[in-house]
Amino acid sequence: MNTIVLTVVLPLLAAFIVPVLSRVSPLLGRLLGPLTLAYAILLTLQVWLGMEGKPFSIALGGFQPPLGINFYVDRLSLLFTFLTLVTSLLLWPWRNETEPRQYALTLLLAASACGLALSGDLFNIYVFYELISVASFGLAAATRSGAAFAASLRYLILSGLGSVLVLCGIAIVYLQTGTLNLAQLSQLAPETLNTPLGLSAFALILLGIGVKGELFPVNSWVPEVYAAASGRVSGLLAGLVSKLAVLVIVRLLVLLFQQESALHLMLILGLLGAITGELAAWRAKDMNRMLAFSSIGQLGVIFIAFSIPGETGLFAGLALSLHHLLVKPALFLLAERWWGSLAGLRGAGLASPVAGGLFVLLALSLVGMPPLPGFWAKFLLFTGLAAQSAVIYQVAIGVVLLSIVIEANYLFRVVMDLFQPAEDDRATVVDGHGWLNLGTTFLLSALLIAGMLLMGPLGAWLEGVAMQAADPVLYFDTVFSVSAIH
Amino acid sequence: MRNLAALVFVGGLAFLLLVIFNQFDFAQAPMLVGQGILADAPDRVSAANIVTAVVLGYRGIDTLGEISILFAASAAAGLVLGRRRIDARRDPPGGFILRSGVALLFPLMLVVGFYIILHGHLTPGGGFQGGVILAAAFFLPLLARPETPVDHAGLSIVEGGAGAVFILTGLAALLQGGEFLQPLLNNGVLGELVSAGTLPLLYLAVGLKVGAELAGLMACLADVEVDEP
Repeated sequence: MNTIVLTVVLPLLAAFIVPVLSRVSPLLGRLLGPLTLAYAILLTLQVWLGMEGKPFSIALGGFQPPLGINFYVDRLSLLFTFLTLVTSLLLWPWRNETEPRQYALTLLLAASACGLALSGDLFNIYVFYELISVASFGLAAATRSGAAFAASLRYLILSGLGSVLVLCGIAIVYLQTGTLNLAQLSQLAPETLNTPLGLSAFALILLGIGVKGELFPVNSWVPEVYAAASGRVSGLLAGLVSKLAVLVIVRLLVLLFQQESALHLMLILGLLGAITGELAAWRAKDMNRMLAFSSIGQLGVIFIAFSIPGETGLFAGLALSLHHLLVKPALFLLAERWWGSLAGLRGAGLASPVAGGLFVLLALSLVGMPPLPGFWAKFLLFTGLAAQSAVIYQVAIGVVLLSIVIEANYLFRVVMDLFQPAEDDRATVVDGHGWLNLGTTFLLSALLIAGMLLMGPLGAWLEGVAMQAADPVLYFDTVFSVSAIH
Repeated sequence: MRNLAALVFVGGLAFLLLVIFNQFDFAQAPMLVGQGILADAPDRVSAANIVTAVVLGYRGIDTLGEISILFAASAAAGLVLGRRRIDARRDPPGGFILRSGVALLFPLMLVVGFYIILHGHLTPGGGFQGGVILAAAFFLPLLARPETPVDHAGLSIVEGGAGAVFILTGLAALLQGGEFLQPLLNNGVLGELVSAGTLPLLYLAVGLKVGAELAGLMACLADVEVDEP
């Protein structure tokens, strides 16, 4: 069971070795990363089969919590570990033969994302959050264009501000409780953190981690970075890193900040993000910016879903997150093929019907056309929102509906353009490495279709994951039953 | 207008932080984990410097994360910096005083750096602090003689090797049936140079890694092309 720690450690080890190995043998250097990730996926599956749905906790270094750091492994954290490893493998930078540093950074990103999913200690989460930040700065600048440097510098500054805010929030939590262990905090929180001070700690952490989660006021880096970075890096940041940030916030909400005002704060920021993101995407003039702004909008919707109290919110939020994790990287990979202004895309769908067809499928699912998975995720969101009595949740229904209408409008505008006959021959923009991106997109779309066909069992299973994650008592008992045995 | 908006924002934030600050009752903070570690550490880890017991024992995975952050930063900086044309100008060599000063300081700083690293489990200091001194020592010759080529291959071997040693030490514990990063070997006598199990080894790895990374980072910065006069 304690082999789960290898999903964090082996990618780190590979990242340390890969620059040296690439000097000795470039071929081994290229293979090391994917092989490590594949082995880590295998380990995750093994643990998954071994745990039989029961959560467990491992004490790193043999130091029992709360003194030492523990990894908490339940179905939710294993699910995200698995998704992290699979997504990083799918979006591996295969084409960068000359730059082992980019392999190292991708491996570091994967390791820290697994760490974020598994860690059961507040400060340890901060360390992994910093690691994922620094790795993503490097990846965002990796295309070496002037625009990429400017964008990553802005990203770095905003992210640095976010880190300081998170650290302040953690300091407040520590000052109030005297511990950093999430399980112990979940026990102490009702007495010590159910205060205005606790709420301000949550606000600081929410805004700080929200930088990566593209939360409303701290997302100004998003369009520039996604416009300048390669499609694979944008896919990683929008698909994976943002979800991990959301996961951390959700864990903290469930365990530490069980107060209504915390949920309402997140709901309001989510509403603002959804509406501003979609409006900006509607006005965007080129493909990558449009996708970047729409990603802000969709993450706003995810934040709205997670702010519904109880396991309904978790269930709806998880469904939306998984759907976005599948669809967004696929769209970014397609967009790399159609780089540049939207006006220049006329006829591109006729020139390559497969890519055009995939785009239509993904866009339909994103908007929420039944019976595609996107519809079911949004359906869960609406039933969850409608069940709440507070007025703000009723407002949220209206805002989400409006954002869907806007989203449908601009996505279908692009689809129409794709299948219009071209006015002249400059429209056929096809760049060299089409098949690799197209293959990955095809795989992701196949997963989407598979999800649609298996919707019944998938939904029931995801509800189980949400039920398990929504239970702070289970979390506490799992972590501290271990120390009772030893 | 923009400046004014920024001023209002910063003022508001400062006010909010002051309000939060005002709510703390300082010196009354609960020390649940702190007291627990103080009671538990001497027997368990037997490092005379209890900070080291926390850094490498109780929170060892945090330290692994931190050296990975440094590694990520130096890899990212290497991606961005360190491209120069072959015929680009370099800084002129340093004068006599700088060169003789470097010759005197270099061995001294190496000794101090390694002393601080190796005594990290006994006295204040350790891998991070010692590593920075080592990096500074290796940067001095670059200041005195900018034309000396930097051995980037050697640096990356030290960097990767030290990181691998840290992780492999942790994995060895896992293979022996313990948990990842569990301290191995005998604890020894508290306060002696050879004590606290594998902690000094881990700190040596941290020190070498930090040293190599910072030296590499500064070498990358020094390699930036000089402006034409």
